[in-house]
Amino acid sequence: MSSSSHCNSLTLRACPDCDLLQELPCSQAGHAIYCVRCGHLLKKTCHDSLNRSLAFALTGIFLFILANSFPFISLSALGIEQDSSLFSASWAFYQMDRPFLAILVLFTTIIFPLLSLIGMVIVLIAVKMKRIQRTLIAPLFRFLMSTDAWGMLEVFLLAVLVAVVKLGDMADIVIGVSMYAFIALIIVLTLLSLSLDPEDVWQELRKGVKQ
Amino acid sequence: MKSSQRNRQTAREAGLIACHFCHSLVKMPRQRQENTELHCPVCNSVLHSRIPYSLTKTSALLLAALFLYVPANILPIMTVIFQGAGQPDTIMQGVLHLLEGGMWPLALIVFVASIVVPILKLVVLSGLLISIRFQSQWNPVERTRLYRIMEFIGRWSMVDIFVIAILVALVQFGNTASIFPGLGALSFAAVVVLTMFAAHTFDPRLIWDNMHD
Repeated sequence: MSSSSHCNSLTLRACPDCDLLQELPCSQAGHAIYCVRCGHLLKKTCHDSLNRSLAFALTGIFLFILANSFPFISLSALGIEQDSSLFSASWAFYQMDRPFLAILVLFTTIIFPLLSLIGMVIVLIAVKMKRIQRTLIAPLFRFLMSTDAWGMLEVFLLAVLVAVVKLGDMADIVIGVSMYAFIALIIVLTLLSLSLDPEDVWQELRKGVKQ
Repeated sequence: MKSSQRNRQTAREAGLIACHFCHSLVKMPRQRQENTELHCPVCNSVLHSRIPYSLTKTSALLLAALFLYVPANILPIMTVIFQGAGQPDTIMQGVLHLLEGGMWPLALIVFVASIVVPILKLVVLSGLLISIRFQSQWNPVERTRLYRIMEFIGRWSMVDIFVIAILVALVQFGNTASIFPGLGALSFAAVVVLTMFAAHTFDPRLIWDNMHD
């Protein structure tokens, strides 16, 4: 039952959405395999997926630090200038006595995106070095996969656009350095999720486990 | 679709459990004592053939979201103070302001993210729960697809919360112009979070368990 790395063997998988057992053929790069019954994407194969993902994750960490170091937008009216960084968005809620909203914004725009980038680098390096401490890496990767939906930086970018338009006729808006780093970060995060198939990592973690 | 298939059998019918996280297949022990948990040998998560109490949990979260949906739309999500006078804004009024400003593409995006998506989530999840409760035989492929779409778009409803966060952080010019978050924002955020959890605890495999083909 254990999955094998040899490409002539078939891997038995159950579809997560409909539980149908099916044998997956070894796919070539650029191909995707869907469940025959419900159409769920079971596996996608990207060329050199681990290396590329690691590169994107490392770039992501750098851009994340840059995006958080400076204000991404500033507003000047009446001779007063107000600026906002990623952190001050959640800080504003805290100061207005809305701790639940502050925590929600803090986790979805800073903590989860950062943890997922750092965690991804740790997992990918461990897998690449073939030094896998399964008791550590597997729960970490599980955590990353289950909190994936809660990192909402791309939603935040749309919100920035809406806010800029809403304020446009009220005051002068200056886009900061962080804004460009932020946009680049969104692109890198998208490329990361496109290049990595979690199944590749699980396959590595499954090696040597008797089932 | 490139998958080969020997026989149409689910993991459960074959006596296997697929790990919810890493998808490893594990043999279900023939005799299992109650209250003992089975752990995945690969990722050490607790194994279940189906998410335990999936329908109960999803219904509870959905009901809570339905209740909070009312204050989320009635109460102001933010109060804009401009030259001393305060003006409360609900979600719908926010969309209308964008429309009045001639920003219809953006108004459309906010309308879809803040009004259409939450309603769609509440309706689709309720429909799925009811269809399973009454063992509906209606197109399981479409129902599974609806579930996947709903799970994918749910997070985009957060856009309004982030807009308020940015506006509150930026617009603090005392009595001249200030923006404060309202209780509607809190309720709306709770609706988004609760429906995301509800979608997460829903097990789409239950749709297929009911099918007798």
